[in-house]
Amino acid sequence: MNPYVLATLLFSLGLGTTLTFASSHWLLAWMGLEINTLAIIPLMAQHNHPRAIEATTKYFLTQATAAAMLLFASLTNAWLTGQWDIQLMSHPLPTTLASLALALKIGLAPLHTWLPEVLQGLDLPTGLILSTWQKLAPLTLLLQLQPMNSSLLIILGLTSTLIGGWGGLNQTQLRKILAYSSTAHLGWMVLVLQFAPSLTFLTLIIYLTMTFSTFLTFNLNNSTTINTLATSWAKAPVISSLAPLMLLSLGGLPPLTGFMPKWLILQELTKQDLAPAATLAALSALLSLYFYLRLSYAMALTMAPNNLTGTLPWRLLPSQHSLPLAISMTASLSLLPLTPALTALFTL
Amino acid sequence: MMTYVSCFFLGGFILSMIAVACNPSPFYGSFGLVAVAGFGCAVVVGSGGTFLALILVMIYVGAMLVVFVYSAALAADRYPESWGSGGVAGQAVGYLLGVMVASGFFWKEEYGVLWGFGGSVEELAPQRGDIGGVSWMYSLGGPLLVISAGALLLTLFVVFEVTRLLHRGAFR
Repeated sequence: MNPYVLATLLFSLGLGTTLTFASSHWLLAWMGLEINTLAIIPLMAQHNHPRAIEATTKYFLTQATAAAMLLFASLTNAWLTGQWDIQLMSHPLPTTLASLALALKIGLAPLHTWLPEVLQGLDLPTGLILSTWQKLAPLTLLLQLQPMNSSLLIILGLTSTLIGGWGGLNQTQLRKILAYSSTAHLGWMVLVLQFAPSLTFLTLIIYLTMTFSTFLTFNLNNSTTINTLATSWAKAPVISSLAPLMLLSLGGLPPLTGFMPKWLILQELTKQDLAPAATLAALSALLSLYFYLRLSYAMALTMAPNNLTGTLPWRLLPSQHSLPLAISMTASLSLLPLTPALTALFTL
Repeated sequence: MMTYVSCFFLGGFILSMIAVACNPSPFYGSFGLVAVAGFGCAVVVGSGGTFLALILVMIYVGAMLVVFVYSAALAADRYPESWGSGGVAGQAVGYLLGVMVASGFFWKEEYGVLWGFGGSVEELAPQRGDIGGVSWMYSLGGPLLVISAGALLLTLFVVFEVTRLLHRGAFR
């Protein structure tokens, strides 16, 4: 791709999200989301592979539908209440419609089906952008909505955690597993959204860190299926010994960072007298944990048979920069002792 | 008189909506879309938004040209299914019954004006609601228009980039 075009597209990608962050008016927020969607499309289709084009088309259709629904919701809101402010949505109908449109945009569970299909068609760096940067703008809008119907968000959250765990169970493709893991994590965020928005924010940041290191690890190994993970020990021994910990952190096991959001969310749900929902969410995290465990088993707990020359790639210097991976990996493994500081930092 | 006309427009709107929704061949479906657009704009005219309806008609006509070209070029059937053929007619009857049941469910005797554009809709008034909105947009919404133009320019770049180079672009 021409560097000028690439620069323009990346700039617009940033501009769209920033515009949505900065706006308190529905029309501007919608415009930011549209700019965001449009700017990533050539990046998704840049390899001109038929599968990538298919994924791009699917992404465009879903995002256009969601954006149209959001515009319809905000127009209905302006018609019914006479104002366009995001934080002052006072009628239940447009609020519910906007919540559902944003759920379609970020891939929450009854509306998640596009996400694995799209992510499977992209290369790993673009998939990284799709599952981190593209979630920011819709989630900030979702954070600013005043939820009218409290059961809607709980249902969305619980189905997302359940289906995110269930869908990933029998997958052998890493990108599909990552897509389902994204759905499950977003389910946790939405579940606690109306009770403690700052916890949603904290969960988002931690999820972004963990998924960043996961994508970069898989990209470093150049692997998109579980089978190719098995030779990871020969390529990068340190990373393949840290990767199981990172995956278990994504699954939410105690001494790692990923435990923090789940812990705080379960505590908040229990405080809100929602013990059944908390139990269901905690049990559905076990489903996710199963496929994270399977990934770490294939990556580090087995030693795949290999010929002698196949055991030597660790001697070569890696061609990719590993500093971002090192930073995010450290953060996604060892931030749990900083829980009080982080909860104080991310208070909204 | 006006009531009969707007009843005709609303009924035509719903019928042509059904004509699209009952899944005929793409060619007939886009014809149904044209009818939906026409009746919808007529409804908007009937409730006072003449300028808005004019803009909508112009945009719809442009879009419909593209849709017709697409459905003629990409989805031309040898034996197209119009609304007379079995499955399509069955779906149409189903949707019609659905509309009847739903309207019977939501029917109310007291009937009020549902919408108007900008409050006062007087005949032959120079200052209509929708035209006032346009002037507000051009006077106060300058930065907004700049951002919109930027987004449209970005769309142009995106289309160029996706379809660039005939042998390896998205259209092969």
